[in-house]
Amino acid sequence: MQQQLASIVATAQQESAAVTTRAELEAFKARVVGPNGTLTQVMKGMAALSKEERPVVGKLINEAKKSVEELLAALLAKVEDAEIADALGAPADPSLPSPDVPAGSAHPLSRTRERMLASFRKLGFTVAEGPEVETEWHCFDALNTPADHPARDMQDTLYLPAAFRSADAPRKGSEAVLLRTHTSSVQVRTMLSRKPPFRIVAPGRCFRRDAVDATHSANFHQVEGLWIDRQVTLADLRGVLDFFVKETFGPDAETRLRPSFFPFTEPSFEMDLRSPNLGRLSGRWLEIMGCGLVDPKVLELCGLDPQEWSGLAFGLGLERIAMLVHGIDDIRHFYANDARFLRQFA
Amino acid sequence: MKVSLQSLSRHVDLAGVSADRVAEVLPMLGLEVESVTTFGLAPLPQVVVGEIRSFEKHPKADRLSVCQVDVGDGAPRQIVCGAKNFKAGDRVPVALPGTVMPGGFEIKVSKLRDVDSAGMMCSSEELGLGKGEDGLLILTPRAPAVGTPLNALYGPPDTVLEISVTPNRGDCLGIRGVARELSAALGRPLLPLSHSTPPGSQASGGPRQVRLSSDACPYYTLRAFRSVKVGPSPDWLRRDLEAAGLRPINNVVDITNWVMLELGQPLHAFDAAAVKGAVEVRPARDGETLALLDGRKVALDGTVCVIADEARALVLAGVMGGAGSGVSEATTEVLLESAWFRPADVRRAARRLGVSTDSSHRFARDVDPAGVELASRLAADLLVKLAGAEPVGPAVAAGRPPRADVTVDLPAGFVAAKVGAPVSDADVSAALTRLGFTVKSAGSGLSVTVPSFRSDVTRPIDLVEEFVRIHGTDNVPVGRPAAPAPGDEDAPSAAFAREASARLIGAGFTECCHYSMRDAAELARTLGGDLAPALAIENPLTAEQTHLRASLLPGLAGALALNASVHADLRAVFEVGVVFRPQPDGQVREHLAVAFAALADPLTRSWKSREPWDAQRMKRLVLDVAALAGAGQARLSFGAASGGLWQAGHASALLDRARSLDGAAGVLDLRWTRSLGLRGPVVAGEALIPRSALAEARKTPRFEAFSSFPPVTRDVSVVVPEAVAAAEVESRVRQAAAKAAGKEFTLESVTCFDVFSGGKLAAGSRALVFEVRWRHASRTLTGEEAAKALEAVMTALEKGAGWTVQR
Repeated sequence: MQQQLASIVATAQQESAAVTTRAELEAFKARVVGPNGTLTQVMKGMAALSKEERPVVGKLINEAKKSVEELLAALLAKVEDAEIADALGAPADPSLPSPDVPAGSAHPLSRTRERMLASFRKLGFTVAEGPEVETEWHCFDALNTPADHPARDMQDTLYLPAAFRSADAPRKGSEAVLLRTHTSSVQVRTMLSRKPPFRIVAPGRCFRRDAVDATHSANFHQVEGLWIDRQVTLADLRGVLDFFVKETFGPDAETRLRPSFFPFTEPSFEMDLRSPNLGRLSGRWLEIMGCGLVDPKVLELCGLDPQEWSGLAFGLGLERIAMLVHGIDDIRHFYANDARFLRQFA
Repeated sequence: MKVSLQSLSRHVDLAGVSADRVAEVLPMLGLEVESVTTFGLAPLPQVVVGEIRSFEKHPKADRLSVCQVDVGDGAPRQIVCGAKNFKAGDRVPVALPGTVMPGGFEIKVSKLRDVDSAGMMCSSEELGLGKGEDGLLILTPRAPAVGTPLNALYGPPDTVLEISVTPNRGDCLGIRGVARELSAALGRPLLPLSHSTPPGSQASGGPRQVRLSSDACPYYTLRAFRSVKVGPSPDWLRRDLEAAGLRPINNVVDITNWVMLELGQPLHAFDAAAVKGAVEVRPARDGETLALLDGRKVALDGTVCVIADEARALVLAGVMGGAGSGVSEATTEVLLESAWFRPADVRRAARRLGVSTDSSHRFARDVDPAGVELASRLAADLLVKLAGAEPVGPAVAAGRPPRADVTVDLPAGFVAAKVGAPVSDADVSAALTRLGFTVKSAGSGLSVTVPSFRSDVTRPIDLVEEFVRIHGTDNVPVGRPAAPAPGDEDAPSAAFAREASARLIGAGFTECCHYSMRDAAELARTLGGDLAPALAIENPLTAEQTHLRASLLPGLAGALALNASVHADLRAVFEVGVVFRPQPDGQVREHLAVAFAALADPLTRSWKSREPWDAQRMKRLVLDVAALAGAGQARLSFGAASGGLWQAGHASALLDRARSLDGAAGVLDLRWTRSLGLRGPVVAGEALIPRSALAEARKTPRFEAFSSFPPVTRDVSVVVPEAVAAAEVESRVRQAAAKAAGKEFTLESVTCFDVFSGGKLAAGSRALVFEVRWRHASRTLTGEEAAKALEAVMTALEKGAGWTVQR
């Protein structure tokens, strides 16, 4: 019996070498431990043994069974390995480059805009938007820019023909329709449609009838801010703009408010920036935005009582900020879309 | 506006104040300094007066002369010279070797065409004295001693500041206005003006009658002079004009210009002999013409105001004089005009003529009516002194000054409330007084009288600006803004644009930014020739930018082509921006567009190949973008795309049941993209979302419970004619499958997973195979239920739609 068991195990070990597939494994398993398997036959013979022989033979059988089971487990692992190798192919060189398209990137103007909006959002300014084609009233009249103001001359503004009807900016009467020259028109629309208090930033595309060169572009982008509340002050204006400048240009940046003139703010200022970290522009006062308190006339024109409400407003050029932050020397790069430019800011 | 320090010093004591300091102070008052330059002769100790003793032609160069020049240091020296405007005995400036000229060029002993030359004789321009006569600066008339340093002949150099004056500050278009600002900022008094001409009589009946017949001119004065000797102006006057960038003409014209620079009040001098009878300020007559000083002849009409005599128009009021009545060398009698013209009328007239003169520029910015008379008197003084003029009769004044000083009540605490910090009345009063305003207490607040030269200050808020300018913006505290009102969010369109960009960046697309204005050919391709003119701009600047864009795709295709041409490996690009679309009702609607385009095949080779990007990938992205805009797939389907951008048969148009979104996806027209220089196909997509569709805030989703039991799935294969769209078949299957589920269980999905034709199928037909999935909320569906539902679907397709179902 003992010899018989040893021979079964030895045969099984010998035959197992030829097993490579799952089918061969199943057939092999049946030959040894299946209903008519060699080991099963021996186990069936146990019934004929005497009471004394059974424990001894039982022990031998268990040992043989354990050997066979180990053999089967090893075979299963071997077959599975073969199957996996078959499914996955040969191991790859992990150092080869990925053949797939890498993630894209946001345009530097978008990145700069989102950074700026994030700074203003910390101060409670949320984004407002409005149409790019505007009526003359929203773009000029409501902003206290009288009809004979030089900004309305044909050489500065792009107009649309009299027959042009905008679904987004319907005319009142016979006023002209134009491509907005600033996003201040969004401020006007917000004052007309929302109840104060509110703080908004209006990023968007603007248009001027300018010949294109290194610093001028027929279209460009602005980010304008407006805060209307019961008691908005010049100290608030400095607070908001100082915060923005330090967020954008770092804690070493200094600012100053230089008195200026805009029809829609009073007092009006240009904000200058000076920073030690701007390359060849370091250490010089650079004009970066116009700002001021909203002129009471504008509040009135937009349906707000200047006795009750006051406000601050500011506007800056997105291209200008992006150029300063990244040291870009020509505005045309933003619109040329050369990947060697676009990827530098990803 | 150019002002020199020496001219400012006539009005305010600038002793001990450097040019740099002035250039620092002015911007902080609102007068931006654009440049600071030196005017006059810079210190040049080695440039001396020399006398040309003799000269002869250069032996080797026709254009050069060899001169013997005495500079007072012993023997005459030899200098080779190219100028022709001298004679023997002339005295000229000589730069001795070692001189560094204002242009940075160093004079050395040298040889010119083999002839020794020890120095250089100089022209006016070479010395930095401006463009004078051609050739050498001839000093002979001044008879300076030989050897005198040239600097001894000229005063010390002046500093000229070019200031940009904002439109509200017409008062600073005169030197005295700028000086007034400096006086306020530096706390130094404004010096009084001295003049000896008595004020003009208000009585009419002088030598000339003046009639005012135009609203554009409420106030007009004239003075008459005889025995005027027209000739060159004295050096100091020429110098002042040149420092301000004006060209001296003759003493009479120069005096009017000098006073204008000084006070900001433009004056006009007529040759009295050319003015027939009474002077009238009137609207031009229709068809009237006027020959202007600049040589142009302009046709006038009633919208512009002229100064006329009894015969004809002489001057375009406030803008430009006429050629026929100006002062010339032959003039002996002069009429001097000083007037106030309404700013809007002058601006309109100047714009119509397309000119901006020193005069129109100032009148358009509201000159001080109180300065009209003063300017006339100053000019009269100078005409007497410098041109020997004799006043004739009293001055004539017609009309009245249109404005006077204004009193503004400043409520208590107003300034502090706007500044956001405590400010005392005394501080306010001190600042405003320095500006020349008169401040008195009035009740609890202040009463401020603003002089007429400051037409821009009429309200309390204007006084806040004045206070802050003088008080200093650096003294305004940096506030800490209070917390905002809760609940405000970014506009949905902004949030959408951000999410759509993130989706595309993740899919490998690089963002681009193109101009909104495009050319006519592009619009014709995008919209077709009929609709393109609807987006034309009225006054385009260039032929490339004549229309508003209707799609972002042409720009993107261009970006792919550009990058391919420069071998920058850029396969996939996108843009988010506004496009314009004509609507059936004739209006133009703005859409927020999200567009993307990619080369189907990669630009670079790879060790492991990938399938090309195809139209289906683009469709997926369009649907994803639409979903971000709040349009779920249930609302959307695709039909055949048409139009010039797309390749027929390989692109699909987005169909929105809500008729709000628009879009397309597929292969761009291959002939077009090839013409751009792109060899392989370009796949692309664009979703157009009207702003109104994004206006509604997105609802916060509410949780819905879902079944924990398995679904049953069954396949149904439908044979349809090829012309029937898959979407139509799917829609029928969906309807039937939902109906089959009834109220007992629910239809979860219908998916087309196989399409085939040929084989046993009849020609012209194809089979679409759908997987239908049902699920019960609270139990497992049985086989019988599934079989029954499937049977109902198949019957509906056969009987309802008349299609063949493969059983």
